[in-house]
Amino acid sequence: MEEKKTSFQKTLDAIVKVILANPVYKSIFRTGYPSTALKRMAVMRSSFYMHIFPTKVGEHGLKLRYSWCMGGITFFLFLLLTITGVLLMFYYIPEENRAYNDMKDLRFMVPFGIILRNMHRWAAHGMVLTVMLHMMRVFYTGSYKAPRQLNWVVGVILLLLTLMLSFTGYLLPWDQLGFWAVTVGTNMASATPVLGYEGPFHDLLGVQIDNDIRFALIGGTRIGANALVRAYVWHCVALPLIATLLMIFHFWRIRKDGFSGPL
Amino acid sequence: MDKENLSRRRFFNLVGWGSIAALLGGVGAATAKFFYPGVLYEPRATFNAGKPSDYVAPQAGETVVVDERWKKNQRVWLLRNREGIYGLTGVCTHLGCTPNWFPSEHLFKCPCHGSVYNPEGEPIAGPAPEPLYRPKIALDPAGNMIVSTGLLGIRRSNLQTTKKYKDVYWHEDEKAVIFKAPFFLAYKA
Repeated sequence: MEEKKTSFQKTLDAIVKVILANPVYKSIFRTGYPSTALKRMAVMRSSFYMHIFPTKVGEHGLKLRYSWCMGGITFFLFLLLTITGVLLMFYYIPEENRAYNDMKDLRFMVPFGIILRNMHRWAAHGMVLTVMLHMMRVFYTGSYKAPRQLNWVVGVILLLLTLMLSFTGYLLPWDQLGFWAVTVGTNMASATPVLGYEGPFHDLLGVQIDNDIRFALIGGTRIGANALVRAYVWHCVALPLIATLLMIFHFWRIRKDGFSGPL
Repeated sequence: MDKENLSRRRFFNLVGWGSIAALLGGVGAATAKFFYPGVLYEPRATFNAGKPSDYVAPQAGETVVVDERWKKNQRVWLLRNREGIYGLTGVCTHLGCTPNWFPSEHLFKCPCHGSVYNPEGEPIAGPAPEPLYRPKIALDPAGNMIVSTGLLGIRRSNLQTTKKYKDVYWHEDEKAVIFKAPFFLAYKA
């Protein structure tokens, strides 16, 4: 049955044809319309952005009440924290006389700064929560079992990195709460056996307050300018970099192992 | 060694991987060393605390007067009792917060986890494992007290005495150290 096309439809078809034939379009959408199972899998395989997903997902893996999407939400919050964190870096200077005032300026003087800072703060709290719920889900569904043991270990390291990111971010407002929390937290490092100046066997290597592991952590004998810069660099550069690399591995491993089945 | 144990290939293999391991080890050690700064821009551990007569002597009914003028900048209290002057470092021996002096209760209390110290620095409640450290006090030729908190001062675990964790009051042999120069400045008005 021949369909009669209006001139508008004909023009539209012509435009679509030109676009579909365009090399730029073709180099982005390489497989064409994913009308078959093979093409749908090819979409996942040939796209840089989609390739972190498995080409096929079992129906059980899509059930919201199986995974609660906690890993995905954690990753979403990490992206949110990265974006808001980079924006915060435009106004924040990690220097003893500036840090607290910059934080206050971000809240009261920078356009939308209070939203930005609160997004960063609440996303950080949220990420700790969701990463723990994610771990509980993985535990309760037995998803840590073979062949996924290695990914469980990577996940535990990522949990620790999340906590370390929280801890280093705690000092940056340079307020009383963060200052003393980090004083207490880093003093715990001084109780490390052998390497901490208050730990057992500290005299074996002649470890004192000015050459122990805590000293390397905070760059001094007390929380000061060095500690602030170190917390800043760990928080903004080193730890996110390590976490990103491990996350790449974590997701790649999920893709290789597939979603775990229901109990 | 004979040829079977150390072939040419195995020798170069060992040398090659050995040099890579040595390089990585050296880089690791250098990176670790990098995190130990060679110079600190912290307040000096030694300061001039003025003349002993600047510090109020205990009145009738008092045993000791706690002077808080150096707390903010030096984290040190200077205490004057009937025999002389001694110092206490304002660093809680639990996890390093600064305790507060409560004159009405005659106690130091740490705001972080509730350790309580008496004016001799002995922990009488809370998680603190040992007494507050004591800085050295020396007199310069002009009669000023030079107070030194180097390595935070003398502490129980450096006194080489038997540690008792349940009863943390100073022992007699420890008192013989801490109530003598350089940790105590005999001074009577």
